[in-house]
Amino acid sequence: MSKTIKRLIFCLAVMFAAPALAQDAEAPIQKLLQEHGDVIAKSSRKTIGPAIDALAASGLPAAQRVLERWQAKEMWRDEESGLFVFAEEIDRDTIRVFDPADGAQIGAVPDKGFKQLKPNSGIRGMIGAALVQFQLGDPDPVTRATALDAIERDPEASHLAALRKVVDSEGDPKLKARKARLERLLTIRFDEDDAARIEAIEGFAGDPAVDVRATLNPLVATRVEFAETAPQGDDIARILKPGDAALPRTEAYALLVKDGIAPPILTRSDKRTALIDNIRDGAVGGYRVAQLDTEANRDAAYAGLVEAGIASAAASEAEIDATLAGYVFFERFTGARPTVARSALAALKDIETKVGLNRAADLVLDALSLASIYFLAAIGLAITFGVMGVINMAHGEFIMMGAYTGYVVQQIIPDYTISILIAIPLAFAVTFGAGVAMERLVIRWLRHRPLETLLATFGISVALQQIAKNIFGTQARPLTSPAWLDGSLVLNDIVSISYIRIAIFVLALLFLGLFLFVMNRTRIGLEVRSVTQNPRMAGSMGINPDRINMLTFGLGSGIAGIAGVAIGLYAKVTSEMGQDYIVQSFMTVVVGGVGNIWGTLVGATLVGTMQKGIEWFNPSNTLAAQTYMILFIILFIQVRPRGIIALKGRAAEA
Amino acid sequence: MTRKLLLTTAAAALATAGLPAFAQDCPIKVGVLHSLSGTMAISETTLKDTMLMLVDKQNEKGGLLGCELEAVVVDPASDWPLFAEKARELLTVHEVDVIFGNWTSVSRKSVLPVIEELNGLLFYPVQYEGEESSKNVFYTGAAPNQQAIPATDYFLDELGVEKFALLGTDYVYPRTTNNILESYLKSKGIAEEDIFVNYTPFGHSDWSKIVADVVALGADGKKVGVISTINGDANVGFYKELAAAGISADDIPVVAFSVGEEELSGLDTANLVGHLAAWNYFQSAEAEANDEFIAAWKAKMGDERVTNDPMEAHFIGFNMWVNAATEAGTTNVDAVRAAMWGQEYPNLTGGTAVMGVNHHLAKPVLIGEIQDDGQFDIISQTTEVPGDAWTDYLPESAVLVSDWKDLECGMYNTETKSCVQIKSNY
Amino acid sequence: MSDLTLSPPARRALVLRHPSVLVFLAILALFTLGVTLLSEGMGAGVISTSFIKTLGKTLCFCLVALAMDLVWGYCGILSLGHMAFFGLGGYAIGMWLMYERTRQIVADSLAAAELPPTAQEISDGIASQIFGVVGASEFPPIWSLAHSLPLQLAAVVVVPGLLALVFGWLAFRSRVTGVYLSILTQAMTLALSLYLFQNDSGLRGNNGLSGLQNLPGLDHVPQAWVSLWFFWASALALGAGYLFCAWLVSGKFSSVVRAIRDDEARVRFLGYPVEAFKLVVFTLTAILAGIAGALYYPQAGIINPAEVAPIASIYLAVWVAIGGRGRLYGAVIGAAFVSLLSTWFTGGQAPDLVLGPLRIQWVDWWTVLLGLSFVAVTLFAPKGIGGLVDLIGRIKNPDRHGADLGPDAGALREREADQ
Repeated sequence: MSKTIKRLIFCLAVMFAAPALAQDAEAPIQKLLQEHGDVIAKSSRKTIGPAIDALAASGLPAAQRVLERWQAKEMWRDEESGLFVFAEEIDRDTIRVFDPADGAQIGAVPDKGFKQLKPNSGIRGMIGAALVQFQLGDPDPVTRATALDAIERDPEASHLAALRKVVDSEGDPKLKARKARLERLLTIRFDEDDAARIEAIEGFAGDPAVDVRATLNPLVATRVEFAETAPQGDDIARILKPGDAALPRTEAYALLVKDGIAPPILTRSDKRTALIDNIRDGAVGGYRVAQLDTEANRDAAYAGLVEAGIASAAASEAEIDATLAGYVFFERFTGARPTVARSALAALKDIETKVGLNRAADLVLDALSLASIYFLAAIGLAITFGVMGVINMAHGEFIMMGAYTGYVVQQIIPDYTISILIAIPLAFAVTFGAGVAMERLVIRWLRHRPLETLLATFGISVALQQIAKNIFGTQARPLTSPAWLDGSLVLNDIVSISYIRIAIFVLALLFLGLFLFVMNRTRIGLEVRSVTQNPRMAGSMGINPDRINMLTFGLGSGIAGIAGVAIGLYAKVTSEMGQDYIVQSFMTVVVGGVGNIWGTLVGATLVGTMQKGIEWFNPSNTLAAQTYMILFIILFIQVRPRGIIALKGRAAEA
Repeated sequence: MTRKLLLTTAAAALATAGLPAFAQDCPIKVGVLHSLSGTMAISETTLKDTMLMLVDKQNEKGGLLGCELEAVVVDPASDWPLFAEKARELLTVHEVDVIFGNWTSVSRKSVLPVIEELNGLLFYPVQYEGEESSKNVFYTGAAPNQQAIPATDYFLDELGVEKFALLGTDYVYPRTTNNILESYLKSKGIAEEDIFVNYTPFGHSDWSKIVADVVALGADGKKVGVISTINGDANVGFYKELAAAGISADDIPVVAFSVGEEELSGLDTANLVGHLAAWNYFQSAEAEANDEFIAAWKAKMGDERVTNDPMEAHFIGFNMWVNAATEAGTTNVDAVRAAMWGQEYPNLTGGTAVMGVNHHLAKPVLIGEIQDDGQFDIISQTTEVPGDAWTDYLPESAVLVSDWKDLECGMYNTETKSCVQIKSNY
Repeated sequence: MSDLTLSPPARRALVLRHPSVLVFLAILALFTLGVTLLSEGMGAGVISTSFIKTLGKTLCFCLVALAMDLVWGYCGILSLGHMAFFGLGGYAIGMWLMYERTRQIVADSLAAAELPPTAQEISDGIASQIFGVVGASEFPPIWSLAHSLPLQLAAVVVVPGLLALVFGWLAFRSRVTGVYLSILTQAMTLALSLYLFQNDSGLRGNNGLSGLQNLPGLDHVPQAWVSLWFFWASALALGAGYLFCAWLVSGKFSSVVRAIRDDEARVRFLGYPVEAFKLVVFTLTAILAGIAGALYYPQAGIINPAEVAPIASIYLAVWVAIGGRGRLYGAVIGAAFVSLLSTWFTGGQAPDLVLGPLRIQWVDWWTVLLGLSFVAVTLFAPKGIGGLVDLIGRIKNPDRHGADLGPDAGALREREADQ
């Protein structure tokens, strides 16, 4: 486009837009916006308050729309005139603008000269809170729910009255329940009447929800204070003794120091500074500087300074104790009036035990979920290693192949549900094929040489990993679960588990059943068991051991492929994902006991529970949990070298 | 033998001293020290490609000092000792004039002694934990005060967060950054019990417990925010778990320092809209230079590829080096170093980056909200913030400054008025 | 191939009984001399300092490969954890190197202060310098011996030895064998690396110990010389290690050890304390690995937990397998060959392979080649590269009629089959 045409179009656009812009400058809403123009453009939560309040309280019909569009990042400002418009982006360089006064379209203009207002989520929350008054009674239930969300996030005293007005008229039962609950919470928080607050508090007895605790906890806030004599008054929460866990000695003393009642404790660096300041002719406090290379000498030199009256003496431990003994330390309720605070305290205590139980329940769920993931990852290994005795270090890479299969299918079929349904059998087919190929080409020739099998499969593992890297790149690839697996099953605010984890759990159970069925109820299972126990005998009974081995290995690998799809859905798909599971899988199989699917199940449960348990004791360090779990397994194998469920008799020698 | 040693040293010294007198050796070699295999290849291969693109572009413009530029690419394979070995190889065998490389802090620490011993020149493009200023390294990524501190301020002021969960991968960058942040938050009046810290291993995938812990933090009625220094592909699991737990950015915002466009391409961002990241560059920045850069990158690598912050850091670093070498008329390290101080180059996001005498860049800080297309919506942009090598929020570091121009020291104690050490801590 | 012969009644000198030892030592000596003469430190400059370091490190790999061969090729324990001992040796020496270098820096900087530093101030200064990067400033108890070179040198031997002793005792006592033992050793090295990855371990977590190539107090000595010193030390250690291993595998001890490999139960029934033999071999090789590590890491310059990750130990097994296990020179050849080839391929110097429209870049495909060649070696050439020596020496292998005697030489059954 030549420059002239560009300019022409720009002029046209300006001409077209200019009258409209000039016109809406007179609208009351625009005037109000202009009054707060700089604050709105600055867009900082700290200063925006008055502007939002003014808009909300203006009573202008356009106020609600302006607030809503502003919140949705649809308000722009003409940088030259300072006027505000609504706009939507047509492409990267052009916008279509509307008049905020009446929402009428003005036209499409280049976005140069306009600046989009981008309220951050803090400001959006404030706008949301201001919008509550407009939205609570809105005919659209979605809008009403939005208003409730806004109250939950940013409750204000004014919301209480607004909410009380609309609770009874609410038609939607779900929303009504929410409104009623919110009203109770806001009563606790904002009501002037103590009796009403206490009643509301008691209404939530034993409810472990986070919002209840979040409402109650600020009420029981206290401040540590001190006085010379024991304080009177019912707002005293408790008396503290310096040196207790709640109030360490140094903190108690620091309180006194802060009020100027006691002299500060002299630190080493203070002492050092004092000494340095008073060095005269290479000596201080009767010591030569060169001698001051021990703390003892420095203390003595400082004592010399004190004696000479140059420095003030440091408080000794005994003196500190004596000072502290002269005062009583106590906590005073600051969050609410004492009766309310005590009621909240009692309610919280009640809730606390419930929270503990729920936490434990949640931990059990997490442990089960982790166990099912380990089980799923290990079940293929339980077949190849447990049943056939073949160590397959490339097992992790089969998991990876399954996950990448899922990724590729999703690239071709955009519908997540259908693509998963296709990906699962396809992943099985791909890894089954790979497993069969590997068995025929490599493992068959290394029978009875388990150590070499280990090394050869390791070679394959390295090669597969690098090939995946070369094909798919090193970046993690998305494998997205269908929408019906999004979100989580929420029992309450503490106990919840995501649907994808439940799906994995179900899948694990499904495979357990499938495995048991195939092994115990089908002909091929019978043949597999016979080949495992005695291949020669099986051979003379007309079973082809080579074929059976091949199929068994394929089955184990195929299941690894399906596990890969599942793991990819909940975690990540990278070329190295197999490595994260291989050692744990081997542990699971070994701990549980080789050659027995129940053993693998028990092993997975043990490993999963152990890991979660240790994490619970040491929440800030997940790495430690893994370390100790492995150490535990090493020691466990000392006690039961053949695993929890060990095969007895001749089968154990197979 | 001693005599011989002396002789060789003298000869070497002569040779070095004589270098500037000779005409520039052609071609000028640019070392690229990024892992092309192993765990870090995920992030670093992109930077290798960026460097190759920049070198090609410079050659199209006629090279440097009348010479062709030649990129020497080696693969340290995410193996930290190998970084030192490859750096030595680049400097002594290939005799490169400058090295662009490294991602992780530990790899940088591995390379440092070699670069300092052989007086090489390294441009390090990744945001890092600070507490370092080497004579031979230019840090074009963000120091904590250019990323972590502004993001925390944003949390405190704009989002009103009162309780912090600092989640990180267990290595030096998160450790040091969280240390600085803890001390900073305390200085802002946040109580110790309102700061929850957790470290997870690289590639961690089981996040349910940790996400539940973070949700539980909200029980005392304070607004909770998460500051994430989780690295690499562990983020995929973390964000998936966040989304599954239904945590919206309005309830518990997460700001990440290691999640950029590249990392987001590994997941579906529909459920993450509104969570934050702090960087000095976002692909979505509207500036002509940025459009050009993105177009060139896509033309070279394909349409689905994205650009990210360390790429911009290399872009600025490389161009600054080119300009400094042109000004100095040589690629001699000491001459280029002197010319680098105060060197200016336009940012891709608008504004101008300036190289300080402490070898850190002055750059704007951007905070972006994740959008459903995997890009960031920039909601806050500061003016240029000069990088601070030694943080002001740790007592041991507050007294230290770095000034290679006048003080000739990267670790100068302003209290004792002495240079603590010329070489770096490794 | 005289290591085929069992010890005859009249004992001759070791090197006479095993000329391969002499040949090996001669080659090693010539190699060392040649490299020294061509090195940068000597002024010739044909071989760069970085390559000297590579060669020195390769020699250390050869030493640890010897240990691996002893424990796997001779004793039949496929340990997938020997690099853990290698790493521990590195950590032990690294602690002293790091402490001492930092102490000198701190002492120099504090000497300028107004008051002479107290011991506590120096110690605090060192701690904050070393642990500053991981956000701590106090010495963990594990560093209490770091100030003393002799004690840390002792730790190079004692720590890996002790760990191997305890672990081996536990494992062998409960009769964990075969693949179980392999997985258990792998778990051990994984646990160690995860432990070291934690910052609380006191060894700087993922950062590890760095700057190890700068010897304390020797700042003025150029790396060209330091690298040569370490190269010589590594060569010396390899020579001594080889001699020691050769001596160990030539006597009756070795016969029992190999018998354990071939049939553990039979040896036990013959009345030998199988567990004790295994424990001795396991511990000795761990010590050997520790020494190799202590020489390796000052050349590498940095040690961190990734070095003891399970994959490293598996690669060790790969070297020995490719070189040819059950013969000492095989292990050395394997380690040297594979690690040098890796260096070459990952260095980007290898020319691209053009196959029609395909262009194979070795940086990308080298690992694939390594993995596949490894499979090929296990399948088709279980004797590894060392098997070539048999070909040249026209040593005919017995026809085993399909029975698996193990790929190595020297077992009694081998001779029986030969006759």
